[in-house]
Amino acid sequence: MRNPFQPLKKDNWVKPYMKKYKGLLCLILVLGLLTFFCGAALMFNAGYLISRAAQRPDNILLIYVPVVLTRAFGIGRPTFRYVERLTSHNWVFKVTSDLRKRLYLTLAKDAAFFQQHFKTGDILALLADDIGHLQNLYLRTIFPTLISWFLYIIIVIVLGYFSWFFALGMALLLAIIVFLLPLVSIAVTSARVMQKKQLTQQLYTDLTDNVMGVADWVISGRENDFIAKSQPTLKALRKETLATKRFEWRRDFCIQFVFAIISVALLLWTNRYFTTSPAAVNWAAAFVLSLFPLIDAFAPVSQGVEEWPIYMSSVTRLNNLKPQEQALPQQAKLPTTVPPISFQHVEFAYPNEPNIINNFNLNVTAGEKLAILGQTGMGKTTLLDLLLGDLQAQKGAITIAGVPVAALQEQRKELIGMLDQKPFLFNTTVRNNIRLGNLEKTDQEIDEALKAVQLGPLMARLPKGADTVVEEDGARFSGGEQQRLALARLIVQDAPIILLDEPTVGLDPITEKALLHTIFSVLAGKTIIWVTHHLQGIQNADQIIFLEHGKINMQGSPHTLYQENARFRKLYALDSGE
Amino acid sequence: MIDKQLFSLSGIKKVTIMLVGLTVLQAFMILFQGKYLALALVKTWHLRPLNLLGPLIGLFFAAFIGRHLINWVKSIVLDRFANQASQSLREQLLTKLFHVGPSLVAKQGTGNLVTMALDGIDEVDNYLTLILNKMLNMMIIPWILLIYIFTLDVKTGVVLLLVVPIVILFMIILGFAARDKADKQYAGYQLLSNHFVDALRGLSTLKLLGISKQYANNVYSVSESYRKQTMAVLRIAVLSTFALDFFTTLSIAVVAVFLGLDLLNGKMPYFPALASLILAPEFFLPLRDFSSDYHATLNGKNAMQAIRQLLALPEATQRQALTSLTTFGANDELEFKHVNVSYENNNEHDLADFSFKVHGFQKIGVMGPSGSGKSTLINTLGGFLLPEVENGGQILLNGQQVPHLSQEQWQNNFVYMPQKPYLFHATIGQNIAFYQPKASREAITAAAENAGLTIWLKQLPAGLDTVIGEGERGISGGQAQRIALARAFLDRKRRVLLFDEPTAHLDIETEAALKETMLPLFKDHLVFFATHRLHWMQEMDQIMVIEAGRLVEMGTPQQLQQKQGAYTQLMTQMKGAKL
Ligand SMILES: Nc1ncnc2c1ncn2[C@@H]1O[C@H](COP(=O)(O)OP(=O)(O)O)[C@@H](O)[C@H]1O
Ligand SMILES: Nc1ncnc2c1ncn2[C@@H]1O[C@H](COP(=O)(O)OP(=O)(O)O)[C@@H](O)[C@H]1O
Ligand SMILES: [Mg+2]
Ligand SMILES: [Mg+2]
Repeated sequence: MRNPFQPLKKDNWVKPYMKKYKGLLCLILVLGLLTFFCGAALMFNAGYLISRAAQRPDNILLIYVPVVLTRAFGIGRPTFRYVERLTSHNWVFKVTSDLRKRLYLTLAKDAAFFQQHFKTGDILALLADDIGHLQNLYLRTIFPTLISWFLYIIIVIVLGYFSWFFALGMALLLAIIVFLLPLVSIAVTSARVMQKKQLTQQLYTDLTDNVMGVADWVISGRENDFIAKSQPTLKALRKETLATKRFEWRRDFCIQFVFAIISVALLLWTNRYFTTSPAAVNWAAAFVLSLFPLIDAFAPVSQGVEEWPIYMSSVTRLNNLKPQEQALPQQAKLPTTVPPISFQHVEFAYPNEPNIINNFNLNVTAGEKLAILGQTGMGKTTLLDLLLGDLQAQKGAITIAGVPVAALQEQRKELIGMLDQKPFLFNTTVRNNIRLGNLEKTDQEIDEALKAVQLGPLMARLPKGADTVVEEDGARFSGGEQQRLALARLIVQDAPIILLDEPTVGLDPITEKALLHTIFSVLAGKTIIWVTHHLQGIQNADQIIFLEHGKINMQGSPHTLYQENARFRKLYALDSGE
Repeated sequence: MIDKQLFSLSGIKKVTIMLVGLTVLQAFMILFQGKYLALALVKTWHLRPLNLLGPLIGLFFAAFIGRHLINWVKSIVLDRFANQASQSLREQLLTKLFHVGPSLVAKQGTGNLVTMALDGIDEVDNYLTLILNKMLNMMIIPWILLIYIFTLDVKTGVVLLLVVPIVILFMIILGFAARDKADKQYAGYQLLSNHFVDALRGLSTLKLLGISKQYANNVYSVSESYRKQTMAVLRIAVLSTFALDFFTTLSIAVVAVFLGLDLLNGKMPYFPALASLILAPEFFLPLRDFSSDYHATLNGKNAMQAIRQLLALPEATQRQALTSLTTFGANDELEFKHVNVSYENNNEHDLADFSFKVHGFQKIGVMGPSGSGKSTLINTLGGFLLPEVENGGQILLNGQQVPHLSQEQWQNNFVYMPQKPYLFHATIGQNIAFYQPKASREAITAAAENAGLTIWLKQLPAGLDTVIGEGERGISGGQAQRIALARAFLDRKRRVLLFDEPTAHLDIETEAALKETMLPLFKDHLVFFATHRLHWMQEMDQIMVIEAGRLVEMGTPQQLQQKQGAYTQLMTQMKGAKL
C-alpha cells in the first residue's frame, strides 16, 4: 500500500499555516486539554469528596477544598469547551482566508490556466472544495488527534508517578485506541472511501442522464430502463457503504471493549494500591470515576481520520499546482490612440494536435470593423486568444502598431477590450460590475455608460437602480441585458481595440438586431474584430473574412462579396429568409 | 417534537417496537454498569481484598459490554431500515420524475433535482438512522435511571429532574436567538460564501480587465469579513451547546456537593451516594447526544419534507386514453379547440384560446417574438405540459377527445428536438438508438449515414462506439443535432417531428448543412417547427404566428405575405438591413 502520509512530506499548503499561526494553535490545544482535564477533574474531585465525606470527618473544612474545586471544574469544563470551539473555528477561517488568497494568486499567475478555458469549470469547483476539505482536516482530524496525543502523554506520566508498571500497561491499552485503531481505520477505509467517491460520481452521471434527458425517456416509453439505470451503481455503492459501516461498528465496539478492560484494570489497581490506609482509600473512587469523561477524548479519533484519503488527495492536488508563468519580453508602451493590427504568416497548433491556424495573414487598419465567420471549431476564438497574447503562435508575428503582442501584455487592458458569448458578471451590484472596467470611474460616469447602452430606463425601473445585485451568473437579467451590462463595462474601460466573440449567440433576432445596433454605435471609431455566427448586422463590417482550415477562404467588404461571390450570396439569402 | 412524516414509512412500527425493547434493555445495562461499579468501589473503600471484588467487577464488565453490544445490534437494525426506506423514496422520486416529465425539471431546476435524488436521499438516510434511536434513547433511558436514582436518594433525583426543563428552555431561547441572527445575515452570507468560486470563475474576465492581481486583496478581505460574520453567528449558535453543557455539568457538581454534605451529616450511607454520582452523567447523556446531532437531523428532516412535497405533485392520469392512433399517417388529424395552458403561479394563460387543426403530413412553422409561447406550444404538443381542464378546451386526435397529449400512444409517434438535444453518457450508437434500444447495428449505421454523421464517425477511432456526454468527448452543437436527427431516421414509425428552435445557436454554415439533411426527413412527417430563423418558413405548408400566447395568424406563407398582417410585421422586425 502507498504511504498514506506521503502527501504531507513535501507539503506547503497545510504545515506552513500551522507554523504561521502557532500561537493560536497552541491556545486551541491548551483549551482542548483543559476541557478534558476539567471533565476528568470534576469526577475525580466528586469521587474523592463523597468518599471522604462518607468517612464523616469531624472537621467540615477537610472537604471544603474539594467542594470548591468541584464547582470550579463544573464551570470550567463547559467554558473551556465553548472558547475552544470558537477559537478553533476562528483559526480555521483565518487560515482559509490565507489559502483562498494564495489559491487565487496561484491561478492568476498561471498562463496555462487561461488557455484551457473549456474545462475550467470542473477544476475550479474541485479546487474550491479542496479548501473546504482542508478546513475539515484541521477541525475533525488534526485538532482532536493532537489533543488526544497530549492527553495520552499526560495520563501516562501521571500514572507513572504512582506506579511505572501500571502506567506501562495503561500506555499499551490506550495506544490501541489512540494509535493502532486510527491507523487500521485509515488502512481499511482508504480504498473504500476512494471507491465510494468514484461510485458517487457515477451515480451523479446516471441521475443527470435521468433528469436532463427526461423528455427523451418519456417519449421512448422506457420507464423500466429509466428506473433501472442507476440500480447497478446504487447496489455497488450500498455494498461499499455497508462494508464501511460494518467495519465502524466492529471498531467502535473494540474501542469500548478496551475501555471496559481499562476500567477493570483501574478497579483492580486501585484496590491493590490505595487500600493501605483509610486515608488513601478515598482516592480509589476518584481515579476510577475520572476515567469516564476521558472516553470522549479518545473514542472519536478513529472516526476523525476516516476521510483521510480525501483530505490527502486535496492536499496533493493543491501541492501539485505549479503555476507556469509566461516569460514576457521587454515590455513596450504604446500611446492609446487607435492602432492597426497585423498577422503575418501565423501558424499555431494546440499541443499534440495538427495546425489549427496555418500561414495566416491579415491586416486590420486603425478603426476598421472586421467580421470573422467560420464554422464552429475552425479556430476563430483561438485567433482572438493569439491576438490577446494568451496563446503564443509557433511561427509568424502578431503585432499591434508594429509591436509584438507579447511586448504589450502589461499595457493590455488599456489596449484591448473583449466581449464574448456569455459575459461574466460578478455576483455584486450592477455598478460594481461596471466599475471593474476602470476602478477610477465615478458613479456618474458609470450611469452615463449605462445610458449609452440603453439600460437607462431599466435601471430607472428597478427599485434599487444600479445598486441591484446581478445574482449568480447575472441571473437577474436577460441574456441581452447581460451583454449590455458587459458592453457598459467595455465603455468604461475605453480601450481602442475591441474583440467581440459571437456576442449574440442564443439571442432572438429582434434583441440581436437592437444589441448589434447599440454595439456599433457606442464603439464607433474603435478597431473592432467581430467573430459572428451569422450575417445579421453584417452591414456594420468594413471587411469580412471566412476562416476555413486555418486560412482565409473568402475576403472582402459585404457589398463586394454580395456582388461577386455566389456562396456568400447563398448564405446571405438563407440568413435573411429570402 | 416527533416528526409526523416518519409514521408514513413502511416498517416503522416493527422497527420502533424492536428499538424500544433494545433501549429498555440497554437502560438496565447502564443501570447495572453504574450499580456494580459503585458496589465494587464500596468494597475497596471498606478495604476489602481483591477476591471479594471479583464477582462485582465481572457483573460491571458484563453490563458495560452488554450496553455496547446492544448499540451494535441497534446500528444493524437501523441501518437496514433506513436504507430500505431511503431507497424506496429514491425510487418513488424517479418514478415521479418520469410521470411528471420535463415540466418538473423546469420547475425544480436540474441541479436541484439531481442533488435531491443524490444528497437529499443520503441526508434522509442519515436522518432515519439517527432520529429514531436518539429520540427513543431520550424518552426511555433517563427515566429508568431516574426512577432508580430516586430509590437511592430523593434529593439527587429532584435536582436532576429540575435541570431538564431549564436546559431545554435555555436551548430553545438560544436556538431562536441564533436562528434570528443567522436569518438576518443570511443574504449577505450567501453572497460572501460564493464569492470565492465567483472570483475563480471570473479570473479570465478579471485578467482581461487588467485587475486580476489587485483582486487578490479583495478575495482576502471578503473572506475575512465572511469569517467575522460567521464567528458572530457561531458565538450565539454554540452558546446553546454551552448552556446544555453548563447546566448538566454544573448539576453534577451540585449533586456531588449535596451528596457530600448529606454523607458528612450521616444522612445517607456511601453506596447510594456513589451510585447516584456515577449515574448522574448517564442521565444527561441521551440529551447531549440528541443535541449534538440536531443539525444533521434537521437537514435530513427538511430534505425528506421537500421530497414528499414533490411526490405529492399532481401527475398526468389517463395516459392510455388515446386508442385511435397506432402510427400517425397521411389521413390522421390533430385538432386544438380553445385550449388554454398556464404555468403555475401565472395569472394569465400562457397559451390562450388556442385553436387549430392539422391534417396528415403537414409542415407547420411556429413563429413569434421570444416569450410569446412557442416553447409552451411545443411542450403541450409533446405532452410535457398539461392544458387546463376547465374552460372547455378540447384536444382531438382523429376526432377522439383526450384530456392532454401525455398519451402513451401519441408519445410513441413523435421525435422531439430542442435547441440543445441532451446526449446521454453512452456511446454514439446507443444515443442514436435511444428510442429503439433493440435496433440492429446496420439500421443504426444507416440512420447515422442519413443524418450526415458518417464523415465525422470515420474520424473517431471507435466510430459509433465512442462514448460521449458528461465529461467525455466534447460534441459540437451541429453534431448533437445530427445525433438527435438520426433517432428520427432510425425510427420510421415515429412520423411526427417537434422542433423547438433547433438551429438557434448554430453558425450559418453549420445550419445550412444541417438543413440539407433535415429537408428529406420532412417528407411523410407531420412537422411542428418553432424558430426565429426566417428561411425555414419557405419549407412550411402552414405558419402559425403567436403573440402573447394567442394564435394571431395561421396560413400558408403566401397567404400571410399577402395579408400584410402580424407575419409580415414580424418578418420586417427580424430582418437585418439590406446589403
Ligand atoms: N486548450 C485547447 N487544447 C486543445 N484543443 C483546443 C483547445 N482549445 C480549443 N481547442 C480546439 O481547437 C479547435 C478550435 O477551437 P476554437 O478556436 O474555439 O474554434 P471556434 O471559436 O472557431 O469555434 C476546436 O476543435 C477545439 O476543440
Ligand atoms: N417554467 C415556466 N414557469 C412559468 N412561466 C414560464 C415558464 N416557462 C415559460 N414561461 C412563461 O411563458 C411565456 C411563454 O414562454 P415560452 O413558451 O418559453 O416562449 P418562447 O418559446 O416563444 O420564447 C413567457 O412569458 C415565459 O415567461
Ligand atoms: Mg469560438
Ligand atoms: Mg422558446
